[in-house]
Amino acid sequence: MVEAAPPPLHRGLPDDFAIWEILVRLPPKSFLRCRAVCRAWRSATTARDFLLAHHARQPALPLIYGLGRDIESLDIIPFDHRVGVATADDRLLSVARIGGPYVRPCISCDGLQVLYIGVDQLSIVNPATRQCARLRGFTVTDTHRPVGMYPHSLSGEYRILLAPHDPDDSYQLYTLGSSQPPRQIDIDGPVVEELSPFTLLLFHHTLQWCADNVITVFDTIAESFGEMLAPHGTDQFVMDEIYGGVLFEVDAMLGMFSLNAEFTSIGIWAMHNYESRVWAFKYRVELPLAELTVQFGDFKPYCCRVPSSWDGDVSMLLQFGDWLLQLDMDGKVVASLRRHKGLLPTQHRLKQTLVQHSFFTALEGYVVNASPFM
Amino acid sequence: MATREAGKKMIMLKSPDGMEFEVEEAVAMESQTIRKMIEDDCADTAILIPNINSKILSRVIEYCNKHVPTTGATGAAASDTVAPAALAEDLKIWDAEFIKVNRATRFDLIQAASYLNIKGLLDLTSQTTIDTISDNSLEEIRSFLSTKNDYLPEEEQTIRRENQWAFQ
Repeated sequence: MVEAAPPPLHRGLPDDFAIWEILVRLPPKSFLRCRAVCRAWRSATTARDFLLAHHARQPALPLIYGLGRDIESLDIIPFDHRVGVATADDRLLSVARIGGPYVRPCISCDGLQVLYIGVDQLSIVNPATRQCARLRGFTVTDTHRPVGMYPHSLSGEYRILLAPHDPDDSYQLYTLGSSQPPRQIDIDGPVVEELSPFTLLLFHHTLQWCADNVITVFDTIAESFGEMLAPHGTDQFVMDEIYGGVLFEVDAMLGMFSLNAEFTSIGIWAMHNYESRVWAFKYRVELPLAELTVQFGDFKPYCCRVPSSWDGDVSMLLQFGDWLLQLDMDGKVVASLRRHKGLLPTQHRLKQTLVQHSFFTALEGYVVNASPFM
Repeated sequence: MATREAGKKMIMLKSPDGMEFEVEEAVAMESQTIRKMIEDDCADTAILIPNINSKILSRVIEYCNKHVPTTGATGAAASDTVAPAALAEDLKIWDAEFIKVNRATRFDLIQAASYLNIKGLLDLTSQTTIDTISDNSLEEIRSFLSTKNDYLPEEEQTIRRENQWAFQ
């Protein structure tokens, strides 16, 4: 039974409200089941305007990858970081498992995932529609590698930013579904030798990453690079040469996380007004490093993430040994997460989408709900 | 009827069954629909709220009264003494009590919140329905929402097959 005491006179919810107020808010899996409820629901929920509205209402949840043993499977996990709302198991519920030789994450945006499946082979996957196709427009080369993906605001196309290995080379852009090879942009763009795509932040219409006290900003409209200083005083905190500080977004503001050299405290900054480029120091969080190391294992400072939420909550994810610990702004462990095959947290957000993208069918090896989906 | 306080603009809301509710303008403006009417000067003395009976309208006003931000002359004192976190916790408890209504009333509240465009109330009233749909079988969903299955059995099977992974 769905309700203990139904009212004697059972009036339903008119279809218009059921569809536009309820179905539009359902997570994709429950939503797809509802197409089998009745004809009216099915026809309304296959229309593109409805699917766009559904995508807009989906929460943008921090994305965590669940790594498979022997690199033969990958789980795509929207991390429900609201402590107490879901049970520990539900909070790491995978929306799709992808199988294949040497499968590992590359870049992601909205609900779309670009993954390596096989050596040097890139595929694009939508876990909500169970669509998958190979990306043949470009291959992973010795000269460039994908570092970020974004929706181009004017054309609505999804574009991929490719970083050069050689400092004398320029960045490239590739449009998903395009038959054109990647094109070169901004010859004078910066070269960051080691840039983790998992810390790259898509903020408004820019892609941003931080290294050596400098934040590199790629403007996706102007297709040019700019720089911004990291918060004043972050030099007291560790700016890892490779990974730098961690940028995040909360309440439409830019935020920054950084560790001190001893890994005993964490600084959190926010930029209240993006135009002003002024950072405000928000929190200093004491990290009980010794205690946590004894309890969970060695600290892995390169794996810190800040999963901020759509409702303004900020928490931190830190890796100790096999454990992923979620800490609040008091430095208190609010959750300890572990899966026997390992978890890879990212700064990306998964906002699931059932919108049909036309580029899929144009790509090679296009499949729906078949291998590599497990 | 609400008492008229000095400096506070009052608005009259009328339900189609003839009841009148005098509420502070700030409270009424929790509804984006009413806010737009007031801002567009379409609301002189009284606003008729069609489709929402007095029983449901009074509950909606009760919700808005509780959720209107306390930034006015009298509200400032209250928010000075109560920490925002405690205030939010208090609201959560109040919401949980507020939503303890039968299914028909909840459906009426969803429709009212949708028509009046009150985001908080819509989130609150739709969440239990969303949870029910997420957790139950198709038959239970149909019965819960009084929706009739108009598929032929083989059609339903086809649609189930198309979305096979969602049923696993």
